[in-house]
Formats: sequence, C-alpha cells, structure tokens
Amino acid sequence: MHKRSFILTCLSVVVIAAMLSGCAGTMVTPTQQNFKAPVVTLDSMEVAHAFGYWYFSKKVKPTKGKPDNVGAPLDLAFIFNIENPNEYAVKMENLKFTVAFEEFDLNTVASTDTMWIPAGKTNQVRVHAHFDVRQSLLSLLVTGGFQLKAKGTNAWAQLEKWWTGIPEYAVPVHVKAGAAVFKADGLTQVTTFKATFP
Amino acid sequence: MFGKNMCSKIFVVIFTVALVVGFSSMAGAAKINVGALNDMTGATSDVGKDYALGIAEAIHYVNDNGGVNGKQIKLYQFDYGYRIPEALTKYKLFKRLKSVAILGWGTGDTEALSPTITKDKIPYVSASYSAHLTDPKKTPYNLFFATDYSTNARAAITAWFDKKWPKHKDFGKRKPRFLTSYMFASPYCSAPIKAIKDQAEILGFEIGPDQSVSLFAIDTKSQVLAMKDFKPDLVWHGNTTMSVAATVRDAYALGLGADHIVNNWGFDENLPRLAGKASEGVMGVAVCAFYGEDVPMMDKVVEYAKKYNPGIPPEKRLIRTVQGWGDVLILWEALKRADKAGGLSGENILKTGFETMKNFDIGLGAAPVNFTATDHRVAGIVPIYEIKDGKFQIVEKVDLKSRWPKKWADEWLGW
Repeated sequence: MHKRSFILTCLSVVVIAAMLSGCAGTMVTPTQQNFKAPVVTLDSMEVAHAFGYWYFSKKVKPTKGKPDNVGAPLDLAFIFNIENPNEYAVKMENLKFTVAFEEFDLNTVASTDTMWIPAGKTNQVRVHAHFDVRQSLLSLLVTGGFQLKAKGTNAWAQLEKWWTGIPEYAVPVHVKAGAAVFKADGLTQVTTFKATFP
Repeated sequence: MFGKNMCSKIFVVIFTVALVVGFSSMAGAAKINVGALNDMTGATSDVGKDYALGIAEAIHYVNDNGGVNGKQIKLYQFDYGYRIPEALTKYKLFKRLKSVAILGWGTGDTEALSPTITKDKIPYVSASYSAHLTDPKKTPYNLFFATDYSTNARAAITAWFDKKWPKHKDFGKRKPRFLTSYMFASPYCSAPIKAIKDQAEILGFEIGPDQSVSLFAIDTKSQVLAMKDFKPDLVWHGNTTMSVAATVRDAYALGLGADHIVNNWGFDENLPRLAGKASEGVMGVAVCAFYGEDVPMMDKVVEYAKKYNPGIPPEKRLIRTVQGWGDVLILWEALKRADKAGGLSGENILKTGFETMKNFDIGLGAAPVNFTATDHRVAGIVPIYEIKDGKFQIVEKVDLKSRWPKKWADEWLGW
C-alpha cells in the first residue's frame, strides 16, 4: 500500500514537472527585440465634479471657517486605454501627462499606481486631474501674462470661459507630452501619447 | 514506512527551498520610500513642472544604478499646487508611508514644514535655497545641493563690481549706485535682501530705494521711472522669470541705462526668449549648468529626459531639470552612506550621510558639496553668468569664502 502511494506521488511530481516545463517551453520571454511599446490612447474625459464658477478673496468673511483666497474646484477624469500588443504580460509603472486648456498648460498629472496588462489585452486606467480657480489664476498670472496680453484677454476672462465651458464639454481639453513607463523582465519601454477631448 | 519517510523528507526539502527562494526574492525587491512635493499646477508651475520631471528622471537613474545599496527607491510624487494646507496633508501621508526623506519644493512648503520636519527628524531636500535654512542649529533637517540665495546675491554683486564697474566711465570718480527690484511680500524674493545690501556696503555702493514689482507684473514702467530718479548703475532682480523679463524689457525701452543682476529663479532659458535683445548683458546666478551644457553627468540628464519624457522637446527643458537632479544626487549619496553606516533613520541620514560630505562632486556644473554639523552652506564659490547673443556665458566664479574668510566663518551663516 505504502509502495503504491510512493509510486503515485513520484508519478504526480513527474507529470507536474513535465507540464510546467511544457508551459515554459511555449511561453515567450521578453527581449529588447520582441518588447513592443504598448499603445496608450485617450478613451474619454469626464467632468467628474464641477462646482460652477466662483472666487472669494480672503477679504470676504465666510459663513463658517477662516477666510482665504479660494475658487471653484474642477475635477476632470481622464480614461486611457492601455493596449499590450506583446505575447507576455507587461507592468505599467507610471503614466503622466500635461493638461492644457486651449494653449495654456495648467496641470501635469502623474499616476504611479502599477498595473499588469495581460498579453494581447487592453486595460483601462482612470486618472483624475484637480484644478481650482485660485491655483490656475496664480499659474496664469505668474507664467502666462505675456501670452494673455498677446491674445487680447486676461486671466479672469479665461478662467470664466473654462470653468463654465468645460462642464458643458464646449471647450477642448488637451492632453500633451504624455509618457507611460512599462516594464517586462527588467526591460523598459516608454510610450508617448497626446489627445484632445472632445 | 520507508516510502512515507522519504516523501516527508522530500516535502521538507522542497518546502525549505521554496521558503528560501521566496524570501530571497522578497529581499531582492526591498525598497525605500521617498516623498516628493512639487508644484505642477500653481504659482510656480512654470519652473516647478520641469524640476518635478528632473526629480522623477533622476530617481529612475538612481534605481537603474543599484538604488541605495541594492534597495530600489519608490518615489511618491505629488503636486500640491503651491498650497500650504495641501503640503501639510501630503507630509502626513509621507510619514504614514514611512518615507525616509522628502524632496520638497519652494519657500512656502519648506518654511511651513521646517519646524515639523525638525521635530520628526526627516531630511527635507528642497529647492528653496534661503540662507535661513543653512544654520543647523535652527534647521538641521533642511538641506539642498545649491549655494543659497544670500551667497548667490553677494557673489552676483561682487562679480559686477569686479568685471563691469572698472570699465564704467565714472569708475574712480564716484561710488557705483545700486538698488533692488522684487516683490516685497514674497518670502522667496525678500530672503537675500539684507545680505545683498550688506555686500553693497562692503563694496562701497550707494544704495537707492527698493522697488516693489509684483511676480505677476507684465508692465513695470512706473517702477522703472522711479528707478530713473536714482540713476542706478546696477539693479538686482529677485523675482521669477516673467516679471524679471518685463522689468528688463521696460528698463531697456525707457533707457534706464543700468546693468542687471538676477537671482537664480529669474535667470533661465526663458529669460532671453521673453526679454529678447533687452536681455543682452544681463548677469545672473545659476547654481548648476544649464540644460544640455557640456559638463559631467549632463549626458545622463539628457539621456533620461529623452527616455522617460520623449514627448517633451529638448528645447522646452530648462535648468530646473538639472536642479532636480542635483537634489536627488545628494540625497542618494546620503542614503547610501547612512545605509552602510547603520541604517536609514532620519538622524543617521543627516549625521552619517549628509554631514560626512566633503567636496562631494555631483557633476552637473554645480559646486562640490559640503555639509558639516555646524554649517549647511554647501559651498562658497558661485558661478556668475551673462547672456550674450541669447546664450549663457560664464563671467566669473566668485569665491566668497576665500575672499572674506572671517566674515564667511563668523558672520554670514544663516541670513
């Protein structure tokens, strides 16, 4: 009885080992030559949260809390398709891109959440970009003064146009200088992307 | 019975091997958390974004080159929009994540967090180069790779005095006249005012009235007209690039007739682009080489920028990328030294890491780095550049430490 059990155990080990080695034989190993850059495309952009257009200076007494220079937040969610054309799974380590309203770069967003994309499959990743009137105002005033003047407008007019137009999907939002870093077995590929929505 | 024993032995051996292999792979994946606070959306995002890119690219370089004695760095990089409450919130997250150090950004977050990081003993390597952060008696855990604003301001006015004033038609006949132009309410802009006026007195300048210019200014004619009343030979600019460009342009258009020296955050590749021919002859401080210059390590800076951010054209990259690398490289060295010397506690990183650096060369055209237990000024030598044909050319490396050794040692630390 014991002898039979021992033989069965040995046979099982041999069979499992054979199966594993067989699988290994058919698996493609990543190399610099066969590692294709995954493809990143913008699927859509959602106005995740909009609060209208408003701004209070710290001279205004709030109903509760302390006065401050505060403006309406705007939360945009960008949904990207991440397509893995390889015959093996790849890991996305990070993804970053700049968001521009018209010709003004207002945010550079990064996601460092890692994800595995199976061979030949497409995953989706959602990245939020937070804006508010106060910080975008400062960004425009400190960096965009000459650009605004050349355009014949001013920071407040631009902000109102964006904060009322973007929730209506009436102002195009640009994704610029996008780069996503992928790893497979210690090898690295960086994919670039850009898009405009809508 | 024999078979059962044999099976048990085989099982034990396989189990042991599996455990060893499993744990050794975990050991190989050891990582160190580092936090980074950056401004990619707020008032300083024009330079903050490029600095943040440099930080991330430099961390890739560090990890590709062995990390911290084999341990990879996991970078948690967040935008705080130059909003102090958000900086404080993110700091609490970094603590929760057990970050061994933080790569900070500007004067706002650095000064707001300074008492807390001192209490918590967390090294905070920032891009605020205020001299107030160089005295370890007051701010032991605030560190940066660059010469501080006050040292830079002293060096800039000295370089002009050495190189330009002797060629002036009134040289030897009267004192040179000097004034400053900056946003009074900004802690960054006003940080070196006391030092530069002290240096002006040492060199024998006549000092005129300060002019307040907003960081948002694109029209500074009223301030330039006020300057004209004093007939300055030299104006020091303490603002950031856009408003410095506006002032230099208006000074040129209104015939002010003065030379200009600029602090480092107003002196970059965008200044000649924005100010055009008015920027010719403007002198300024650069704490390291400009992006793409032929200096040691710059090949790596450019290589990693191309590799990890290929969507950004090289002509859009700034010296700010190089500054990000500078801070990462000193932190890397400190972490490696501390790790070998007993561990990555904040105190160990400071004492056996940073404060053991003597003339540590990071390349990048930066001064060799020194930290001691009593002095966190990294160097006393400052390169001063001048814009010629739209390019940056070095004018002089001013060695304040050798020229005024007693003042350097006894008087100038911490302000």
